[in-house]
Amino acid sequence: MSQSLRPYLTAVRYSLEAALTLSNFSSQEVERHNRPEVEVPNTSAELLLQPMHISRNENEQVLIEPSVNSVRMSLMVKQADEIEQILVHKFTRFLEQRAEAFYILRRVPIPGYSISFLITNKHTESMKTGKLVDFIIEFMEDVDKEISEIKLFLNARARFVAEAYLDEFVY
Amino acid sequence: MEADWRRIDIDAYDPESGRLTAADLVPPYQTTVTLQELQPRMNQLRSLATSGDSTGAVQLLTTDPPYSADTATKEQYFGSVLEALTQVRQADIGNVIKTLSDSQKDVLVKYLYKGMSVPQGQKQGGILLAWLEKVTQVSGVTPIVHYISDRRTV
Repeated sequence: MSQSLRPYLTAVRYSLEAALTLSNFSSQEVERHNRPEVEVPNTSAELLLQPMHISRNENEQVLIEPSVNSVRMSLMVKQADEIEQILVHKFTRFLEQRAEAFYILRRVPIPGYSISFLITNKHTESMKTGKLVDFIIEFMEDVDKEISEIKLFLNARARFVAEAYLDEFVY
Repeated sequence: MEADWRRIDIDAYDPESGRLTAADLVPPYQTTVTLQELQPRMNQLRSLATSGDSTGAVQLLTTDPPYSADTATKEQYFGSVLEALTQVRQADIGNVIKTLSDSQKDVLVKYLYKGMSVPQGQKQGGILLAWLEKVTQVSGVTPIVHYISDRRTV
């Protein structure tokens, strides 16, 4: 792990640990409803806690929005050029379409971010909180690696295709 | 308008409905700090930071922060705080944090999170993350929990 990545991941780990103290909380607006307070238009501001921004630089950021019974964590994946923008979009879309298999993944990222997670008290009750944090940290580590790997494959493939195509014109 | 009367939110007109807006949660301050009152403090901070007295600068910025100031004033003041924080050498950060009390660490963490949420601080993200890492090494998750639940913003 590079020297500048470690403090970033440590900060995200501690912030998530602090935010993931969720409790079961019924809606104050609608009877017999129990909904993630961070997601609904809220008329009771006391249920939302201070949001946490963690940024390594302008292109790599995490936003953690805690509330009484849910935490929304959004991740901005590094996108250095247009190819990476497309790759990140395709990659996160692929995951989001299978969101029900990932439990904590949000189907749509919040504007300005690449991918969002929504962790509710149901998740922290049925899963180990420490493992959830580990999963997110591991995801953050792997997604950068994955994107740069796909980019290398893409370039190799493009080179091969170009060679095969341009061979036609060689006499 | 007449057709829409079913949608009127009558609870919003009830002063005893118990609903709280973000403005209700801001603690009541007796006085409001103005930019003029903060100016000497900002100058002192700048002179401490440039003279290399990093412990003094961080001690100053973490004691009695201007919670009651308005947003624009806080923005101005934060500029000099960020300058002071970024001028501390990486090797000194650990020693500076050892001199801080628990409540001073809470204030420092508030400034770190604020720094990472504004573009000027995001450019210095590496330094702010180094600060945060050193704080968590000393006192763990505690100052972050205090940050989440504290309604007094810097």
